[in-house]
Amino acid sequence: MKPFEEQFTAWVDGKLTDAELAEFEKQLAEHPEAMADRNDALKLGRLLRAHPPVSEIPNPDFFNHQLLQRIEAEMPKPRVVEKKQWSFWSIPGLAWAGAASLIVAGALFATMIPGGPKHLETSTYFAQVVENWSTDPNVTASTVYDPKDQMTVVWLDGLDYIPATYALNK
Amino acid sequence: MNELRPDPSNTVPTETPDTATGPDDLELVARSQAGDTSAFNELVIRYRNRAYAMIYNMVRNEQDAWDLAQDGFLKAWKSINRFRGQSSFYTWLYRILMNVAIDSLRKKQIEGGQEFDDQIGLHNIAPGAATAPKSEMEPAERISDKEIRQRIDEAIAKLSPEHRTAIVMREIDGLEYTEIAEQMGCSLGTVMSRLFYARKKLQALLKDVYETI
Repeated sequence: MKPFEEQFTAWVDGKLTDAELAEFEKQLAEHPEAMADRNDALKLGRLLRAHPPVSEIPNPDFFNHQLLQRIEAEMPKPRVVEKKQWSFWSIPGLAWAGAASLIVAGALFATMIPGGPKHLETSTYFAQVVENWSTDPNVTASTVYDPKDQMTVVWLDGLDYIPATYALNK
Repeated sequence: MNELRPDPSNTVPTETPDTATGPDDLELVARSQAGDTSAFNELVIRYRNRAYAMIYNMVRNEQDAWDLAQDGFLKAWKSINRFRGQSSFYTWLYRILMNVAIDSLRKKQIEGGQEFDDQIGLHNIAPGAATAPKSEMEPAERISDKEIRQRIDEAIAKLSPEHRTAIVMREIDGLEYTEIAEQMGCSLGTVMSRLFYARKKLQALLKDVYETI
């Protein structure tokens, strides 16, 4: 059997079945104030429903605005894959440029230098004269490499004199 | 379909949207589940007043109710993919909002060290006894609506979160016992007991109000 409190509440709210109501009414003799209390409970319910505290939210537009901001802040940011502009000064750019330079240098070295790489195998020099010319049209410049002595001779034909500053110091 | 308002005598609608034009709730929910925030925004517009009022009934503070309504909607957005359409959107939202409100009340109760004694003034009152002497007031003494609301606010604020929740769900939101029990995660007997003591206390505090209007 339900406690009196539960039966009383169901009685106030009209939730007792006929059998429960008949059973409960037998107990009312022991609770003479119950009917008045039930009326009070019904009045209280009417009072609460008749005076809803508020009907509209203040600043409704700001409510939505702020809520959307919070939602967007909570949403996981999609990972933006930036398509970088190709730049020569980027590390890959420099690497490609370096590799290309090496290939060109190698090709030049193999095709333009007399004797080519084979020649270098016996040379201790780090520099080779690739080209020579003179700014004076009356002077012609040429170089001769002597593999035996591993020496390069610069021949200037038509030169009247060598300036003192250019003279070799022994 | 009106699961939340089975009692036609209840004057407080609980499921009618604030605005009833445009696509239905389920369509908006489906779009929200796909990540469409504008669809969710529409749902918020429909139910923000009701959500705010429901939470205000619990916390009795405008700023708190505003903030908690935001928290509730934000939680709803985060868990929108868990909504399966087994109930109406508002029924589902209602539960979230109510939990937010109850959590807030409990948190305040712990932080403030406040203890609610729902038995105050009831120890010597028989279950069927009248709760306060009836007083007659002259018309000039009748209290205004604003004062009545203030008295109701003060009275409800003196209830524990559990009793407050039960009385608000039953008397203001018009839920059935089974729905209250489900929302609060307790037995039917507990719901009825909570309603009994909540009413007793409110009757003691508001007797002079409801006897004079």
